[in-house]
Amino acid sequence: MNRREFFQYASLTPLISSMPSVFAGDSAKVSQISQKLQRPGRIVLMVELKGGNDGLNTLVPFEDELYHNLRPRIAIKNAIHLKGDMGINPYLKSLLDLWEDGDMAWIQGVGYPNANRSHFHSSDIWESGNAKGKVSEGWITKVLAGQKEQPLNGIVLGDNSLGPMAGEQGRSVAMLNSDEFLRQTKYLNKKDFATGNDALGHMLSIQNQVNLAADLIQEKLKGAKPSPIRFPSSTFGRRLQQVDKMITNGMHLPVYKVTLDGFDTHANQRDIHNNLMNHLSQGLAAFTKSMKHHKLWDNVLIMTYSEFGRRVQENGSAGTDHGSGSVNLVLGGAIKGGLYGKAPSLKPEHLVNGDLAHTTDFREIYATVAQRWWRKPNPWQNRHKPVLFV
Amino acid sequence: MQRLDFSDARHLVARTALGQEWDAVNAVKGRSRKDAVNIILKNTPNKTPPLPPMTSWNSIMTMTNHSSKGKRDARMQMGRESVRLKQWWMNHLLTTKAPVHEHMTLFWHNHFTSSFDKVQQPKIMYLQNQLLRDNALGNFAVMLRKIARDPAMLIYLDGSLNKKGKPNENFARELLELFTLGRGNYSEQDIKAAAIAFTGWGADREKGVFVYNAKENEGKRVRFLNQWVQNGDQVLDVLLKTPRTAEHIAEKFWHEFVSYHAPPAGVIRRWGNLFRSSNYQISTLLKEVLNSDQFWAKQHRASLIKSPIDLLVGTLRSLPYGRPVVTELVRTSQLLGQDLFDPPNVKGWPGGKQWIDTQTLLVRNSLLNRLTRTTKTSARIEQRLPKTNGETVVEWLLPRSPALDLPTVPGKLRLVKALVVDPAYQLK
Repeated sequence: MNRREFFQYASLTPLISSMPSVFAGDSAKVSQISQKLQRPGRIVLMVELKGGNDGLNTLVPFEDELYHNLRPRIAIKNAIHLKGDMGINPYLKSLLDLWEDGDMAWIQGVGYPNANRSHFHSSDIWESGNAKGKVSEGWITKVLAGQKEQPLNGIVLGDNSLGPMAGEQGRSVAMLNSDEFLRQTKYLNKKDFATGNDALGHMLSIQNQVNLAADLIQEKLKGAKPSPIRFPSSTFGRRLQQVDKMITNGMHLPVYKVTLDGFDTHANQRDIHNNLMNHLSQGLAAFTKSMKHHKLWDNVLIMTYSEFGRRVQENGSAGTDHGSGSVNLVLGGAIKGGLYGKAPSLKPEHLVNGDLAHTTDFREIYATVAQRWWRKPNPWQNRHKPVLFV
Repeated sequence: MQRLDFSDARHLVARTALGQEWDAVNAVKGRSRKDAVNIILKNTPNKTPPLPPMTSWNSIMTMTNHSSKGKRDARMQMGRESVRLKQWWMNHLLTTKAPVHEHMTLFWHNHFTSSFDKVQQPKIMYLQNQLLRDNALGNFAVMLRKIARDPAMLIYLDGSLNKKGKPNENFARELLELFTLGRGNYSEQDIKAAAIAFTGWGADREKGVFVYNAKENEGKRVRFLNQWVQNGDQVLDVLLKTPRTAEHIAEKFWHEFVSYHAPPAGVIRRWGNLFRSSNYQISTLLKEVLNSDQFWAKQHRASLIKSPIDLLVGTLRSLPYGRPVVTELVRTSQLLGQDLFDPPNVKGWPGGKQWIDTQTLLVRNSLLNRLTRTTKTSARIEQRLPKTNGETVVEWLLPRSPALDLPTVPGKLRLVKALVVDPAYQLK
């Protein structure tokens, strides 16, 4: 092939795009979206406790003799009393004010039938809202699907896993931090291209989401003032600080997500878990303080989740194996604090293969967020009713 | 007999080796499928570079015994040595003369996963890495038995804590879910039974060897997958006799070599049967896959997304661009989402479409822009490109037509750059 032939070849490559652009490079559209986001909407901050959080050592049934008998080495002896028989892990102390203000809710005994104990499969179940875990679309993607005018649903800070915002219609972006993200988007292709190939279609959709998020961050965070609130210097604290910066500078997206990793406590659990509780509470306390400072506390709902709870009885390595039935923590200025759901019984005859029997289906919590927080249709309409913490 | 054209040859090499080196592609061009696959799988010595120094476990223990500062120092010492071992592997991936064999080593690292993050000790992570390399194209049954006794695995999945009266189910669960049967083919009771059978299996971290402590073995028969077993080896016997094990590996081969979409059940049954009746010869399964019509089908061409190692190592092996220092390459592989010796969890890197998300797309993009930017040495790089025409260069570097326009200004280096930064370059 000579050079002229080569250029003919080159000109045959696709020039026309078959895919509509998702606002990529359309600056008028970006500023329109940006203005809309200025109005404080209702924001959810998802906090994933990765590895399987031990619910019994988080919200502790510390008056229950069985709890101490089953966990001679790892039972929490100095829980802070909340209500009835229940107390919280002492390392959650910095969140205690929120309980007193009615801004802290615990949903107890959360799970689903035939609990799966695989990290991956159970995460899929929790994040998709599908008890078979065979759906790759996240539950938030599903809830916000009808919201066509919302070009960007959410941002994940600190890792790649979109989790509840996964799926082709997820309209969500994951990033390590916003500065790095902006530096890198400079070199990203802005042009549309024809696909006709599944993998290329995936890349185009990611490319357009990234370009849109970059335009928004560019506009909102340019010259943003540093927050007066100090965040912990831990990885988790820094991730929350990023979320805080975006929200307080007017990026009122429906959802943000951060992860605190390390909850798979098979061995020597006590110090590891207490340390994680400390990271969790210090980080969320700073975030809460900032939201209050910026008068956004009533617009935010913070919710933790984890793929499963842990076995009631401690194992031989002073840890706990994978179990079921756990607790979710919800915080927010506009929520109704309190204990919800029924704390599962620890009596041997009530356990399911040594695990807690769940009393609240996890989708009841999602239904609450969908219906009572975002005022969207509840995708589980007839099967799962909201819990009244909102 | 059908012979491989240039594009077929590129397909075979790009999917089995590390990148598509010009000479490797030309070595199989014009051959029959069978000959080409045999050439690809020809036994080539895969000698690794000299190892970085690693502190013995006893010295680490001595360090930690004194104080909390000692503990911290020991942790940092192992951390530094872990990074050097990652660099050592990266260096080997870039230079090995046996890229297909090393591709398979990486494949098994993603099957029988372990991580520094949990194991901490570089020495035993190295021993596991060499175990995977020694058996990468050998026998799966042998490798499985060795992995069950591998010190790093015994630490990684808490097997060494699995003792009489105090069973720890971590290894048993992942053995069934990820290493052999796959989810949905066993009960929770089977996991509990397997954990009991493996009690007493442990590791000597100093010597880097398996130890069996009979006193810690439960010493009782348990019912596992409807059969009575007495010990861990019998659990493995049962698993290797169960057809699902071979099918599970066949599925993994399908996803590695053919497509990230679900395989047809019939293909997996056939490959699984063949694999099991070959007594788990890995090269027999791989030959079957690479000779299959599915592997060569038009619909499966350009359908896989390059892994970070494919992209990083493959580009540097195939094109004469200046090589960043190995410390930077390791950092880049982490940002791309494939941190060698540190997979995200026991399931390994999920791969497929998940290689490219909003974060890693950006890293991929800036890496390729950086590698291909014009520098003082560009003229020399241009000279070292294959002497061929534009059309062949396009066919060599891309598995399908480019997604973006190619440059209209002539220039070999400009064309190669345009191809490398084209979205289609992310495919193989």
